Amino acid sequence: MRYSFLIAGLLALGGLPGCSSMGVEPWERDVLAKEEMQLTTDPVEAASDDHIYFSKEASSGGRGFGGGGCGCN
Amino acid sequence: MASRSSQRGITVDQHDGYWRGKFLAMASPCEVLCETDNQGGAERLTELVATEAWRIEDKFSRYLPGNIVNRINEANGRPIEVDAETTQLIDFSLSLYELSHGRFDITSGVLRRVWTFDGSSNIPSKSSVKAVKRYLGWKRVRWNAPVLQMQPGMELDFGGIGKEYAVDRAANLLRNATPLGCLVNFGGDLVAARKPCRRDAWNVGVEAVDASRPAGEKLLNLQVGALATSGDARRFLFRDGIRYSHILDPLTGWPVPDAPRSITVAADTCTQAGMLSTLAMLEGAQAEQFLEAQAVRYWCNRGNAVAGN
Amino acid sequence: MSNRYKRSITGTLAAATCTLLGSNMPEPVQAQEEPGWDFNTALLYYGEDDDRVQDLSLNVLTRRTFVDDRFLTFGVTLDALTGASPNGALPQSVPQTFTKPSGKGTYTTAPDQLPLDDTFKDARVAVTANWQQPLGRLFQVNAGVSASKEYDYLHLGLNAKISRDFNKRNTTLSAGFAIAQDESDPIGGTPTGLTAMLNAVEDDDEGRRKGPLETKDIFDIVFGVTQVISRNLLMQVNYSYSDTSGYLTDPYKTISVVDGATGDAVPVIPTPGDGPSHLNLFEHRPDNRVKHSLYTQAKYHMNGKVLDLSYRYMTDDWEIDSHTVDLRFRWPISDRSYLEPHLRFYTQTAAEFYSLYLIDGEPLPEYASADFRLGDFDATTAGLKFGWKTGGGNDMSVRVELYKQSGNISSGQLIGDQVGRDNYPDLNAIIVQYGYRFGK
Repeated sequence: MRYSFLIAGLLALGGLPGCSSMGVEPWERDVLAKEEMQLTTDPVEAASDDHIYFSKEASSGGRGFGGGGCGCN
Repeated sequence: MASRSSQRGITVDQHDGYWRGKFLAMASPCEVLCETDNQGGAERLTELVATEAWRIEDKFSRYLPGNIVNRINEANGRPIEVDAETTQLIDFSLSLYELSHGRFDITSGVLRRVWTFDGSSNIPSKSSVKAVKRYLGWKRVRWNAPVLQMQPGMELDFGGIGKEYAVDRAANLLRNATPLGCLVNFGGDLVAARKPCRRDAWNVGVEAVDASRPAGEKLLNLQVGALATSGDARRFLFRDGIRYSHILDPLTGWPVPDAPRSITVAADTCTQAGMLSTLAMLEGAQAEQFLEAQAVRYWCNRGNAVAGN
Repeated sequence: MSNRYKRSITGTLAAATCTLLGSNMPEPVQAQEEPGWDFNTALLYYGEDDDRVQDLSLNVLTRRTFVDDRFLTFGVTLDALTGASPNGALPQSVPQTFTKPSGKGTYTTAPDQLPLDDTFKDARVAVTANWQQPLGRLFQVNAGVSASKEYDYLHLGLNAKISRDFNKRNTTLSAGFAIAQDESDPIGGTPTGLTAMLNAVEDDDEGRRKGPLETKDIFDIVFGVTQVISRNLLMQVNYSYSDTSGYLTDPYKTISVVDGATGDAVPVIPTPGDGPSHLNLFEHRPDNRVKHSLYTQAKYHMNGKVLDLSYRYMTDDWEIDSHTVDLRFRWPISDRSYLEPHLRFYTQTAAEFYSLYLIDGEPLPEYASADFRLGDFDATTAGLKFGWKTGGGNDMSVRVELYKQSGNISSGQLIGDQVGRDNYPDLNAIIVQYGYRFGK
């Protein structure tokens, strides 16, 4: 059950590059260029949250590398 | 009107390691920066630029009796034959009229008759705007180069392109006159005609619109190319909590709603930069969208902070 | 956007300008903003209720932009930590005494109170440095180092990432790795797993059992795909693999040994002069852990508002599974300020060797831990952030978040007197952060 979930997700990930026709023309990137549309709008806030959740939960990372680097877990 | 000759001198000094020539033209403080070794060279180049600037100002000014614009505006319906340079400017304006689907229109100067942007609350009535709109619109113009015929009461106004055109002509003269780094700046519309030899780049400021916020100025490094700014720093009307910018939409006769306070664009020539900033202003709330679509470097000030790309 | 400008007009404009100016068209423009330093700073307070952990941290991230999209980033974090943490033992209806980790003295927990070790006061300094630059037209590379130091812990790490754009920059594939070596020097030395908590030492004894340094090696790799779906929608999917080996046990945590019938902790007899009152064994975790994560995020823009939704699934070979759903909604309330509500739901299943207690007389398992962070629990975060642009054009923000963690203990897990006691150290914490971003 646990690994089948993971495999399903990986297959979905593998399917994405198949959307090679998906997307926008370079002159349609106005909204995407906005600061609030970046995937990580505030790296300091994201790092602080990652650190808090790393020290209180058993999971870490996902967005980038796994937080950590401290003695709190 | 103050005596023209008393305003038409040039001064030359040293500034920040360059020779800088200054003069007044087109109601703006103008300057020429160059890397010549001596004052004489700087004077010569500044004279060259100033002469061309004053020539264009005199030729296309609305106020000078007897020049081509004056003859066109007093034609009262008669056809007027224009020279080659005027033909080129009219052809360019027509291209932009088509490209902007009517938003850029050099016959829209007549709106000046009902709109005075003096910071007051004097908004014209809807009927007076409607009345003056009968005297504008390129579709009322018959243009078969080099013959121009407009309906009586119509005017041509090259104010929207004249300064940028003059800057580009001046830059061209400088490039032919010297191999050294030089920059020409007519009140914020500028061209770095040649890269500086002695530094990496010309250091240029993009001004904040409100003098109360000097922190808004951004510094740019410009190696070569042009910057032009459209803005409404002091020209606006304010009534009932709404700020009416001086950017008028020729299709409606009214100010473009939600226009930014100022837009600066970087492009290869000042004419291109100026047209892009003007067209962006005419887009009002969608100015940034328009500029993103054109994939040019721009800085847009909406009165809170300068945003750009 | 009005349909008038569906396409770029720069080509037509250039042609018209060329006609106007004659053939004297100059070279292409080169202009950049003067490189400067951007700063992103934040002051954060984290506080749990019931006299548990409190943390105050200052975070500064500064980035220098060089020409041609190259960036150098430095980060410094300073943390000060105080307060008490659950030590893994169960609450009892009688007082309990435990030896401090340093060995110098003991502390007592009142009846029906969750045993908390409050001997932790720590300060941490962490630094990071990162270099980013394009490689050719379509590639981008990142390389970085990280280090952190606490009283009893040292971390050193390296990371690198490469990414490439495809399909008119609508698709980006990236691959990265990170390696780190952490060293810990537990106060009072490293206890042997699943042995009893020792008595306190005499005052003149300079810390017994000065053990060897314990190390931990971490290896992470991440593969990601970012895809522009439409003008308003961007998505990302990442797969991560992480392998940690070495000393993974928490040297300060214990597990209560209880009577199989009553469920009460077994007292130590005879009662020692200065030592633990009940039988507690130090926990022991495996020396290796492999994790897989799948993370997906979508950012959707609608009329100026932005919805940020992400989901992460994690599974590891300790049999912990977790699901995280994170939702943020940025709502501009004026042209220079916004509100951003935030909700996060988290759930995890317990590690295979997690247990609330060990039963006296039964054979010891190879691994056991009562650390609530490896247990079966749900956690919810609810927060609100308010951000605004200052007069000088800089960004400030304030956010407040409430974090609540509650254990899922099935009644079948509890024996005897444990039923009816609050056995799991549920957590309630508040997070308050003030942020300021400025720069030239």
